[in-house]
Amino acid sequence: MKISDVIVIGGGLAGFMAAAVAVDRGQKVSLLTYGSGSLPLASGAIDFFNAKAPDVAIKNLPAHHPYKKIGLKACDAAAKFFCDVTAKADLPYNGRLSAQIPIVTAVGTLKYSCLVPESMNASNLAAKKKIFVVEIKGLKDFYASMIADNLKKYFPDKTFSVAKLDLNLLGGRDITCMDAAQNLTGNEQILADGLKTLDAGNDDAIIIPPILGLDGNTSRAAIKSQLRAEIFETTCLPPSPPGIRLQRAFMNYLQKSGVRIFENSKVIRGVIDGKKITGVVVENAVREKIFRARKIILATGGFYSGGITMRDFDNPQEPIFDIPVFFPTGAENWSNQQLFSDKPQGFSMTGIFTNENLNPIDERGEILFENLHVVGANLGGCDKIFERSAGGIAISSAYKGAIL
Amino acid sequence: MSETTQAIFTGDRCLSCTSCMANCPVMAAIKDYRGPKLVGPAHGRMHFSQEDIEATLEFCSNCKSCDRACPSGVAVSTLNMLQRAEYYKTHPHTQAEDMIAHGERAGKMVRMMPFGATFANIGMTVGKTLNIFDKLGLAGERDMPAYALTPFKDLFSRIKQTSGGKKIVMFTGCFINDNEPQVGEAFVKVMNANGYEVLIDKGFNCCGSPLVVTGYLDEARQHADNNADRILDWKRQGIPVVTPCTSCSLMLKEEYHELFGEDKFHEAAENVYDAFEFLEILQERGEFNSDLKPLNQKLLYHVPCHLKSQAIGLPAQDILEEFGAKVQTADAGCCGISGNYGFRKDKYDISMKIGAKLFERIKRKDFDKVISDCGTCRMQIHHGSGIKPCHPIEILAAAYSIRN
Repeated sequence: MKISDVIVIGGGLAGFMAAAVAVDRGQKVSLLTYGSGSLPLASGAIDFFNAKAPDVAIKNLPAHHPYKKIGLKACDAAAKFFCDVTAKADLPYNGRLSAQIPIVTAVGTLKYSCLVPESMNASNLAAKKKIFVVEIKGLKDFYASMIADNLKKYFPDKTFSVAKLDLNLLGGRDITCMDAAQNLTGNEQILADGLKTLDAGNDDAIIIPPILGLDGNTSRAAIKSQLRAEIFETTCLPPSPPGIRLQRAFMNYLQKSGVRIFENSKVIRGVIDGKKITGVVVENAVREKIFRARKIILATGGFYSGGITMRDFDNPQEPIFDIPVFFPTGAENWSNQQLFSDKPQGFSMTGIFTNENLNPIDERGEILFENLHVVGANLGGCDKIFERSAGGIAISSAYKGAIL
Repeated sequence: MSETTQAIFTGDRCLSCTSCMANCPVMAAIKDYRGPKLVGPAHGRMHFSQEDIEATLEFCSNCKSCDRACPSGVAVSTLNMLQRAEYYKTHPHTQAEDMIAHGERAGKMVRMMPFGATFANIGMTVGKTLNIFDKLGLAGERDMPAYALTPFKDLFSRIKQTSGGKKIVMFTGCFINDNEPQVGEAFVKVMNANGYEVLIDKGFNCCGSPLVVTGYLDEARQHADNNADRILDWKRQGIPVVTPCTSCSLMLKEEYHELFGEDKFHEAAENVYDAFEFLEILQERGEFNSDLKPLNQKLLYHVPCHLKSQAIGLPAQDILEEFGAKVQTADAGCCGISGNYGFRKDKYDISMKIGAKLFERIKRKDFDKVISDCGTCRMQIHHGSGIKPCHPIEILAAAYSIRN
């Protein structure tokens, strides 16, 4: 087996991004994945930080925060690279680090994010006269009247209208947004015709569930060109078409660029030579296989994805390289009893600490492995859900880890 | 081992995250199927009576895309197959199901008659013209796989090998034995060139894969017991069992244990290798015979689902590339046939719809040959694109032949 320049472990957003950046720089990249990553469960929007100007907020973070190790320059470059990759896959994204773009959620609240799929960019909503919220007959978990009622709280002066279209989706299983998007691919006219009956004008907006196809922008373009009003997609419950589109955009980019992707490949340990890792060991049903590389990027995720595990309280572990994991000590600091409060959760800070090159460090600050870079949800020291920084940390740490 | 990999113990790890649904090719092709999550992990554990049958269980093709998508190690497709076996405890099999599950039996009957293969092939051609297969419940659009005039196990005795050196036992698989003996011959040539005498064990049964997917679990268990005993016997003699069929190798290495859970299946599995997995191990030990003609060919590689599931990397691609071939992976997902699934009349359209992306890719014809390690994938590619693929071992065998 040939030696790769880079092995990326993990097939989520951070792993995809790291592999894309590395291959773009002419490196021979192998991507080892176990499970499909959480993109199909995600909104597709990339949050950087919950602040009006995320770039300013990032500058003012404490020194131990992952963003401070990554640096604002890499964050900016990552955002640009991300938008280039998605644009090449005909999945246009809008946004930058210095501002936030609103998107409409599946319950009719506004959520703000830095990089959003163009199909969800609701920036112009405030300037519209009439807003149509359209639900689809048989589509589960999407309630147009609830969305309209909740949006009225943001926009009390606007007229809302709720409509229901029949796209002939009934028959068979319960219809998710993924099913509707699949069904609509190559079959867009039925939705376009239905939306035209709303008679929405140039100053109006149409809000629909995210059903405009599972690949790029084709379905949206086919429909948009026939409407006078602007059309937005909301977020939805998983499986989520905007997340699937993003996953496919990256997957196509990696495949076209010659990244070797190895599915179902669970890495169990490294081949260690002092402070260098020369390869990783994949365990299959009956034996082990070594994949060799000059550099390793660890993008295995946090608790949810198994990148960090915890069998005993106060003893979180990084299961592949046994890197020390930072966590808040003492049960009283571990969790905040108010799940949705204005304070972060202690346990969510759990993760690996690194130096500025994203090499893992121990409690004395010593580098553990010189050619290993830790990216994405593995990184500790902040509550990414509370801060709304998970996506931004994923792509910008991946970018930095891959260019080093 | 049992508790972590036997399928029935993996169901409780399901978080209902829907990753399997987002990656299921059958769900994408048809909306009647409720999807892997609801069938195996959910209904498999939650049904309370024998009459409580999930009606869409029949749609699972056992391609294992769900298992590979699962971030939590749930053996989703095997849970589906266990459910299917439960169903057939109280429901009769159709004649078509009996036929497609028992290819080994049909092959043996054909060989017992003088000129049996010739007559059987004429019969199948006539049968197709008269639409008999369609009436039986089989996919009338397909050619039934033609019997080779001499099965591989008979051809084998005529092959001259040098004995006395290192040995392997070849698990031929039904398709190679009955339909594509040239793959078997190529396998022997390559193993001989690498200093291995090939043995055949006529005591082996069909691996059982067609039985498992058709709900004949008790019969499959008998095959598993017999095959595992034979493999363990060879293991005691220090002789590995190697197969050029990826569905056989997956069954022997992984699925026996997932289905039936006994330790002996795992112990036997340790002695089983897929053909190119074995060759790559030789290469890593420096024992691979590199004296072959440069492979100046452009190859399009359809990686079988059942190879991806084995987590052995892409050894055929690595080896062929090392000797000069340009290998491009098709990256078009499942071919759709999934063993005998696509031979069912009521599953034919689904099977072709799943394969459509692959057929389109192949029709671009930007290669010299299509390669794939799986016999039924090769059949489906031939049927769907008109281009006949070969096993990668045939490419390697030809390169040794010219040299010698």
